[in-house]
Amino acid sequence: MPSISSGEAAAASLADEAPFYLPVHDEVDLFRTAYEQRIPVLLKGPTGCGKTRFVEFVAWDVRRRAALEGHDAAGLVTITCHDDMTAADLVGRHLLSAEGTYWQDGPLTSAVRNGGICYLDEVVEARKDTTVVLHALTDHRRMLPIERLGRTVEAHPDFLLVVSYNPGYQSSTKDLKPSTRQRFLAIGFDYPGEDLETEVIAHEARIDDETAAALARLGSRLRRLDKADVLEGPSTRLLIYAGALIGQGVDPLRACDVAVVQAVSDEAEVQDSVRGVAEAVFGT
Amino acid sequence: MTAGPRVVGLRGLERSLALFHQALSDRPCSLVPYENDAHERQHPDTASSVRLPSHVQVPEAARTDAEWYRVAVAHRAMHHELGTFSFDLSRDEPFFRRLRPSVDLQERNPLEVFFGSFSRPVFAVEVFAALEDLRIDESVIRTWKGLRRPYNWVREDALASRPDLAELPPRTAAAEVLVRLSLGLDEIKVPESLRSPVLQLASVAAVLTSPKATVETSAEATVRAYSVLARLPNLGTATGPPTRVSLDGDDAELREQRSYSLGTKEVRLEGSEVFDVRFAPVRYRDVPGPRYLGQQASGMPLREAILRTTAEAPAPVESSEELSQKSQQAESGQVDVTNTARAAPPPEPLPHDHGPDLDGHHHATEGPLQATARGEYVYPEWDDVASAYLSDWCRVRESRPRIGGSAHVYRQAVMRHRHLLPELVAELRRVGSDGLRRVHRTRFGDELHLDACIEATVDLRVGVTPSEAIYTDVTRDARDVVVAFAVDLSSSTAERLPVDPRRPGEVRRILDVEREAVCLLVAALERVGDSYGIYGFSGTGRQDVRLRVVKDIAERRSPAMLHRIEGLRPEHTTRMGPVIRHLARKLKNDAAPTKLLMVISDGRPFDLDYGQQYGDEAVLPYALADTARALQEARDQGVRPYLVTVDALGDDYLRTICDPDEYHVLDDARGLPASLASLYLAARSRRRRNQGELTLR
Repeated sequence: MPSISSGEAAAASLADEAPFYLPVHDEVDLFRTAYEQRIPVLLKGPTGCGKTRFVEFVAWDVRRRAALEGHDAAGLVTITCHDDMTAADLVGRHLLSAEGTYWQDGPLTSAVRNGGICYLDEVVEARKDTTVVLHALTDHRRMLPIERLGRTVEAHPDFLLVVSYNPGYQSSTKDLKPSTRQRFLAIGFDYPGEDLETEVIAHEARIDDETAAALARLGSRLRRLDKADVLEGPSTRLLIYAGALIGQGVDPLRACDVAVVQAVSDEAEVQDSVRGVAEAVFGT
Repeated sequence: MTAGPRVVGLRGLERSLALFHQALSDRPCSLVPYENDAHERQHPDTASSVRLPSHVQVPEAARTDAEWYRVAVAHRAMHHELGTFSFDLSRDEPFFRRLRPSVDLQERNPLEVFFGSFSRPVFAVEVFAALEDLRIDESVIRTWKGLRRPYNWVREDALASRPDLAELPPRTAAAEVLVRLSLGLDEIKVPESLRSPVLQLASVAAVLTSPKATVETSAEATVRAYSVLARLPNLGTATGPPTRVSLDGDDAELREQRSYSLGTKEVRLEGSEVFDVRFAPVRYRDVPGPRYLGQQASGMPLREAILRTTAEAPAPVESSEELSQKSQQAESGQVDVTNTARAAPPPEPLPHDHGPDLDGHHHATEGPLQATARGEYVYPEWDDVASAYLSDWCRVRESRPRIGGSAHVYRQAVMRHRHLLPELVAELRRVGSDGLRRVHRTRFGDELHLDACIEATVDLRVGVTPSEAIYTDVTRDARDVVVAFAVDLSSSTAERLPVDPRRPGEVRRILDVEREAVCLLVAALERVGDSYGIYGFSGTGRQDVRLRVVKDIAERRSPAMLHRIEGLRPEHTTRMGPVIRHLARKLKNDAAPTKLLMVISDGRPFDLDYGQQYGDEAVLPYALADTARALQEARDQGVRPYLVTVDALGDDYLRTICDPDEYHVLDDARGLPASLASLYLAARSRRRRNQGELTLR
């Protein structure tokens, strides 16, 4: 009987935790290569197309590979950006306690010290003066200056910064500055094709392939209205929600109404047309 | 939900049906209603318009008012989805031995070449359309489960109103059977003499129910069905006792017919017989039109299109000598698949191909106009000479500018004038809006922000310079101003500006600075959040006042919108009145309390028929009076107009139609980008001076 190394055993135990992700193109291989070279990665794509799931998957993949090589890798640190976020929210701040003041690392500093993937979701929502702290981390220096401590933290060898944003709906004033943007390798995401999306919906919503295929067709048809600037989406996530409701016995048209029709637009005429397509798919 | 047969109307359903069409076909369309007393053949669809009856009677089976129209729109959408108009002469199909001609297209449309290869193109188009409709409907029913039920009742309803076979001559009767086959009929009673041809037609049609059938399959089926029909006489009525024929594709008798060979004769014309058969239209389907000849933009009836594209004119009545000659020609061969020598098609779009509705109106100088398509609006005009409104006098046509390849114009404009942006944004924020909101962590403000103060205290204790942003400020909420920018696209905006000594190699037009000015304002408005719409206007007469919609007021900002700015091009004339009326109406419907209309032009209002009816002397006063009246109407609707012109002589006429603080004349167009921003601020502030107390939200 062949012996199993401790690394293989650890990797096998991680297998059960694998997030479900179906590659659309070569994004997983690209990311692996980028990670090996420690090149920061920018993920661009519409809402609900699988960017966050992708990051969860590749973070798991990094841990699994590290386990196979016999060492531990830190997990994923996710930071959801917003326009009230300050640099201190990322880097850390002094806090008051009964004994006086003490320094508390922010999530970015923590990831920089301990390694692993730090994922800044919707990075353009953060103010530009906030994202500037990323600059030294995302070039050859790989360091994080902490102004308030007067120190610089060198990035852990396993550390990688990943950011995402949706270039479609955010206003031009929220575009990334070229000086920030050009520090990342950019991977574009879009909604998967009907066949792949059927598989995703069937798996995530735990429904039969026929219903999943119908939802995928509904999604692909409605995205034609997105191209025409009539509505946004619908995202794969919404279709999964609709599928989950259908899987629990909710009437398909009702499920589409609450999960898709109401979510993609507030305009009555647009809702009518979306409802019409849903009825064409699911009506009886 | 209502019970029983009832009449339902298209009005109110147009937009949702157009979007439904787009979702199914990935193509936008305009829905154009026609009245019930109009002849359906006069209303073929075009590539971008779907013509539907304004009202239809639906049976009890209809669950909602939209069901009949959805079936009609789905049928049309699937023409595009299933490639009806992407016919390829050379593409193989899996069912028939190839009989289509293989010819050099010579840049002609394959559909035109294919139908041109028949000696009777109109008849061939009708046969093809019936067979293709069958393929389309079968596919819709197969793939769109939810459309099956409405499709079934719509088709049953259509079958119930078909003409009586007993009264039709044999060829017309067989053609009618073909249409009924396409409507899903699976059994029929026909005179014995029609039994064999009907079985042959049914065997051909049965192939098209396969999911593997393509438009090329329909074309091959057309050659065969045409041949069957062409061999039937079109005089008298079919003979023999009625016999029941099963049209079910699995029927044994029908399967036997699959191997039938084409006849050797096309037709034998006798006496006053007319070859062509008019298929009675099916109401929920599009009638065959010039699209079937590859003329996508044309909305004229099919026969007229044939006349324009072919040397042959199928005449309804011909002399016996001509008929005899044609009979001999027809009998010399079966389907003429080699005759592809046709006159070259006319340029597309054709000058008057907006549809038969507009015939006779194009050069009219009198009479009201009608909106005949989605995105068209009619407005009155003020006739100052007669001191009366001319009702429904101008037709505004909304359309999108051609999308440019990139947002280059926008980016370049923002880069070029980026030094102006910070001040402009700060100004906009300062003059702000009436609604107020709290902004935390500011350097100035009315209240201290507790978290920021604690952080600053911590910083002080650890010896770090604290942030000064420790206040909460109450600022104006930005969402109560809406502005529509109307940019003059008249041909004079193509004029070159004097070369800027700082950029000696650069040639710019008036339109370029207009676009730059708008881009700069857009960049600023995005930062402060004012709602805005951007429109370009021009025209070629009262029936064609063009409004290019770069961004509608209610539309969200998108990359496509930035591309559209690049698509603005100099066009024709400057008829301001209808544009002001149209945009004022849009603004009126917006909930924002402050409504601004900024018109940016390079000269006085002028159009081809804007007062010319009273002589040359009256042209300018007439145009100015109408513009002044339109401005007053806008004010009455709560819309504050502001006119900016780069016409150095603008003051001479603008002071006669506007208040002094409602317009501005720029001597040098190159200053427009810098000035427009400050003028917008001035217009915005002017409104605020007249407002009452502010409210905190």
